[in-house]
Amino acid sequence: MTPVARRWTSALGTLAIGALASFSATCTNNPYPAADQGRKVLYTAFEEAPKTLDPQVSYTTVEHAFTGNIFDTPLEYHFLKRPYTLIPGMAKSIPVAEHLPDGKIRYRIEFLPELIYADDPCFELGGAGRKTRPMVAKDLEFAYMRVADPKVVSPFVDPMSNVLGFKEFIERLEARRKSDPSFVTKPAHEQYAAVGPIEGIVVVDDATLDLVLDHPYPQILYWLAFPFSTPVPWEAVAYYNGKDGHPLIQDHPVSTGPYTITHYDKQARIVLEVNKNWYGYRHPEWKLPATVYPSEGEPGDAEMGRLDAAYVGKPLPFVERLEYRREKEDIPRFNKFLQGYYDASGIVKESFDKVIANGQLTPEMAELGIRLEKTIEPAFYYLGFNMMDKTVGHGGGEKARLLRQAMSLCVDTKEWLRLFLNGRGVPAEYMIPSSIFGYEASYQNPYRKVDLDKARAVLVEAGYPGGIDPATGKPLRLTFDTGDTTVDGILRNQFFVDEWRQIGLDIRIDATNYNQFQEKLKKGAHQVYFWGWSADYPDPENFLFLLDTAQGRVKFGGPNDMNYSNPEYDRLFELMKARDNDDERMRLIRELRAITEHDAPMIDLMFNEAYSLRHQWVKNVKPFGMSTPMTKYRDVEPEIRDATRLAWNHPVMWPAYTLAILGIAVTVPGIVTFLRERQ
Amino acid sequence: MLAYVLRRLLYGVVTVLGVLLFLFILFFSVASPDNMARRAVGEKASPKVIENWKKEHGYDRPLWPWQDPKSNLLFDHFRKALTFEFGKSDADSAPIVERLKAGAGPSLTLTVPLFVLGVLIGVPLSLFVAFFRNTYIDRMGLVLCVVAMSVSILLYIVGAQFLIGKLLKWFPISGFDRSIAVIARFVAMPIVVGLAAELGAEIRLYRTVFVEETSRDYVRTARAKGCGEARVMGRHVLRNALIPVLTNVVIQIPFLFTGALLLESFFGIPGLGSVTVDAIQGNDFSTLRTMVYIGALLFVVAQILTDVSYALVDPRVRLE
Amino acid sequence: MNEPWMISNLVVVAMLVGAVGVARAIRRDRLWLEASRDLVRRRPVALVVIALYLVVALVDSVRWVGGAAVGGDAVAAHEARSPIDRLFAGSQEKSYSAPFAKVEFYGGAPLEHPGKHPLGTDVLGRDCLYLLLKGARVALLIGGVTSLIAIPLALLFGVSAGFVGGKVDDAVFFVMSTLASMPALLLVIALVMALGRGTLQVCIALGVTSWVNFCRMSRGETFKLREMEYVQAARALGVSEVRIVFRHILPNLSHLIVITFVLTFSGLVLSEAVLSFLGIGVQGSWGQMIDRARDELAREPAVWWNLTAAGIALLVLILAVNVVGDAIRDVLDPRTLRENQ
Repeated sequence: MTPVARRWTSALGTLAIGALASFSATCTNNPYPAADQGRKVLYTAFEEAPKTLDPQVSYTTVEHAFTGNIFDTPLEYHFLKRPYTLIPGMAKSIPVAEHLPDGKIRYRIEFLPELIYADDPCFELGGAGRKTRPMVAKDLEFAYMRVADPKVVSPFVDPMSNVLGFKEFIERLEARRKSDPSFVTKPAHEQYAAVGPIEGIVVVDDATLDLVLDHPYPQILYWLAFPFSTPVPWEAVAYYNGKDGHPLIQDHPVSTGPYTITHYDKQARIVLEVNKNWYGYRHPEWKLPATVYPSEGEPGDAEMGRLDAAYVGKPLPFVERLEYRREKEDIPRFNKFLQGYYDASGIVKESFDKVIANGQLTPEMAELGIRLEKTIEPAFYYLGFNMMDKTVGHGGGEKARLLRQAMSLCVDTKEWLRLFLNGRGVPAEYMIPSSIFGYEASYQNPYRKVDLDKARAVLVEAGYPGGIDPATGKPLRLTFDTGDTTVDGILRNQFFVDEWRQIGLDIRIDATNYNQFQEKLKKGAHQVYFWGWSADYPDPENFLFLLDTAQGRVKFGGPNDMNYSNPEYDRLFELMKARDNDDERMRLIRELRAITEHDAPMIDLMFNEAYSLRHQWVKNVKPFGMSTPMTKYRDVEPEIRDATRLAWNHPVMWPAYTLAILGIAVTVPGIVTFLRERQ
Repeated sequence: MLAYVLRRLLYGVVTVLGVLLFLFILFFSVASPDNMARRAVGEKASPKVIENWKKEHGYDRPLWPWQDPKSNLLFDHFRKALTFEFGKSDADSAPIVERLKAGAGPSLTLTVPLFVLGVLIGVPLSLFVAFFRNTYIDRMGLVLCVVAMSVSILLYIVGAQFLIGKLLKWFPISGFDRSIAVIARFVAMPIVVGLAAELGAEIRLYRTVFVEETSRDYVRTARAKGCGEARVMGRHVLRNALIPVLTNVVIQIPFLFTGALLLESFFGIPGLGSVTVDAIQGNDFSTLRTMVYIGALLFVVAQILTDVSYALVDPRVRLE
Repeated sequence: MNEPWMISNLVVVAMLVGAVGVARAIRRDRLWLEASRDLVRRRPVALVVIALYLVVALVDSVRWVGGAAVGGDAVAAHEARSPIDRLFAGSQEKSYSAPFAKVEFYGGAPLEHPGKHPLGTDVLGRDCLYLLLKGARVALLIGGVTSLIAIPLALLFGVSAGFVGGKVDDAVFFVMSTLASMPALLLVIALVMALGRGTLQVCIALGVTSWVNFCRMSRGETFKLREMEYVQAARALGVSEVRIVFRHILPNLSHLIVITFVLTFSGLVLSEAVLSFLGIGVQGSWGQMIDRARDELAREPAVWWNLTAAGIALLVLILAVNVVGDAIRDVLDPRTLRENQ
């Protein structure tokens, strides 16, 4: 080698080694900045971007994870107690039904003193330089008026319509808007004030609000624990209107709860931080049920470490910041959980066998300090038939009914659960899950037992012998509508299609995206589809109303997306709804069940069983089942987390070195030749 | 010179108008608003539903000027595009401009390094291979290039996430963060994948250019004068082959802005490529239209710039 | 005739007839005959590989209705099925089986056809070899139909632009530069979105983008040929324009078309894989298999055979086509092509 060549080679070598060294030094798979180490931050992934955080509009599970943390409500659920128990939140106590002399029923909500909103620029509308203001009862009235406002398009009109004068308010508002075009341009709170109050919502004073009903509706207390029952300052609605560079209120909620949003890039990252104006934070000494860690739970909680003396009676919240990152795909998300970058996770189907064996954590996972919680969620999944369709619906009469029953006889839920959910679910015989009144273990739906021979016989009876549609002479063709275009989703639905092919029905999957599928449901343009219902509150009414005519999706925008309608069902349902849990209620439920079994507007599929994993450094976790997040009770131990993350994520560097050496070995002779020629 | 520049500009404008017309035909005539609505709300939707959808999204007017000279979608389409008024997304009614603004940064952080590294690695490597033309290094290099070209980019992505992300733990498997401190580790893996996917074809192309250049007369003259091969390659060939190489490079510039569709989507980078993918999955025609339009606009601008700079360098071009 | 499977059969017949015709034409022409012999000598393996893919695709394109319902699928008896469908009828399992496995991959339940799946099965228990073979037809369909759309149109416009010149040339050039100024992938996506999802739509979209290439090439080459002495001579002798095009221009373009076709082909199949990921690909393509297998690779233990099989099938086809394409270029024309690109 010539001296020049040697010089060049050594220079290149140094450069390569330097590059490698700096590469291995910067090499890390930690997605968070180093400054976050040692902080009480909770890292969570979210898959779908929330559409709206407007408290009166937001309804989905995805959104509830955020709204549940930022909006305080008059009532809340107890963290530990099961069956689900309500506790007072912003209210001093749980309202009781007072029967008034005129036969009406009144619930009186008395608010705690000194409730104030989180700091927000919108309060400047009430005076320059103002950052916040006290919450008053009128704000809750305003919130309920927003529910009523057709322009807000709230999904809660139906339950709130139980309140006296609610519908009349809607009509007055609409009439006024129609007759007076200039009226529409006024801010919402002025419009509401101009058309007068809702009769059944009475603001007694700044800290007291009455809800008056003219019929029993015990479920209303559950709604007081729902984020739409959070007070809304009129300033927020007037200020966040999408004009003058202000965002819309759906992207900028003004909160009252334990956390407040400090960063909202809903496609990628959402950050919540402790709301220093929250009453629990300002007045830890009040030691209210909703501001300290509970001292009692259900049997077993103490053994599970959920009544740790280190936490009982301590003021909430424990975690100072909640970091949410969008992860569109399951597998990267789960891998990041296993690397310690998310604190908790569900289990992705793909990794199930690695994580769970015989219903327990595998030793490998247990060794990593991962904990498992299982719970059967009050979430019911079914294959629905659109009853407005002329082939499978009401219009098809007896023929359609038999067709639905025949199709029901083909669906093997157990096998489906095994293939796609690792058996995490309980096959459903009827809409009511085991944790809720009205469930009967002894009941078996005769059409939910797989029996292909019977299915074929029923199909003959229906006039489709061997699946052949006499009108075309070919197998009857139906459409299976789905909002899931992922390959996995298509396969999941293909399973049903394959089962129906066995009796000669030719069912084609029509996969559109989620929004379009929703649109189809809204317009009644679907035929057969897969759908689920997650309970809002623990009452059988919240499941059985899925078939109530008044909940029809197309006509009334309710969750009855089968658009099933049966006057007898409706009559029995109304009776059942108004009753407390007693024998008569059970009898009514049985009657309703018989009707459903006969009409088969849906194929009952399953109740979801949630397996949730968390790392050892996450404390105070109890699966809730419903979508309320309960994050304020949670705690983390960042020191353990930091150490573990470091230990788990040593980058494996030798392939890089090997590659580099190989690269040099291949190129150096070339460079040497090149340089030699240069001489 | 001025005349040439003006002519070139004029032609650029005509091309952009052509693109707009094409987009109009495609998204308003081939896929009529009725079609769009039907695809958005389902095949079986009633006429009234479709009318409502069209009204909501501003498609409820006649298409062509001869149907209604005052208010038609054609003029609207051109006016809005030329004044850069992109309007609202068909999927969720969010303003498209906001999305473009939010997406440009992440896209650039991925595509600029990809582009720069692509040139910095591709040109020397192809020069290297061309230097050893007709030897084992050249043949091995070519085989590697053809194999690298034949692998679907999907396989590269899946392979990298599995190997680099999951097994070796060099970088996060996916995700993005705008803060400078951590941004590099998120784009590192997509850059590696992007390089692997594009280098094969690039090296092969540049090599052909270089090899061809070595057969020219002046190269022979230089050799005859006693220039070493290395000097010939480094000085003469590289310099003269630079124009075709640069053309290939400049043409890639518009893609810097429109983003790397697949990479962004797989690696969870919220750039313009992700915006496009979301638009595809959400049947969001207005966003898609905008993305195609912007892509074409940038391409035309880049082309004009190259052509004009050629003309500056080489006076013969002007006469053509 | 309104049944798609009848058209498919007709196309097979037409292709076979066409192939015989082309073979005869090559045999008559000494230059082509020599070139093809040279090609066979240079790249025998790649050619055999491509021929295998072709045979599988053609066999899978012959369909007819009838035959018994198998494997509990009562609808199948009413559907048009190919010999490959029939061969694999009833090979259905319940879920994953590894290659040649005796039991199910997860859970270990006994299989219905133990050891009979050389490439394993997918989540619904469909034989992976079957899916793979079906994919060959899709891949060749994409490349073939697309070229069938693009090449004739490109010749029509490119040659007339190059030969007639003037206004016609301006118009064609305008359309070309308009289409070329849109990023190719975005253009394909936009077309598929506007035309709707489906095999033909994807082919049309890909056809439009590759049309630009073909058109540019034939236009440039025609320009050159027009100025050639023998064309000038023919013109001076009073030979009609149409005759000149058919006797002198087109034959001299044919080798360029063959080269461009082969070189474009692999790009088309790879583009479809990308479209598959975006959810607008062609049903049953290898691209879709790869896309699906992404998740399977993450399973524990991983389901690797679907991805491997589809990935290799795709890689081998593209590699063979690329190799043959390079060889054809070397054999037929080492220089002209690049100058026009």
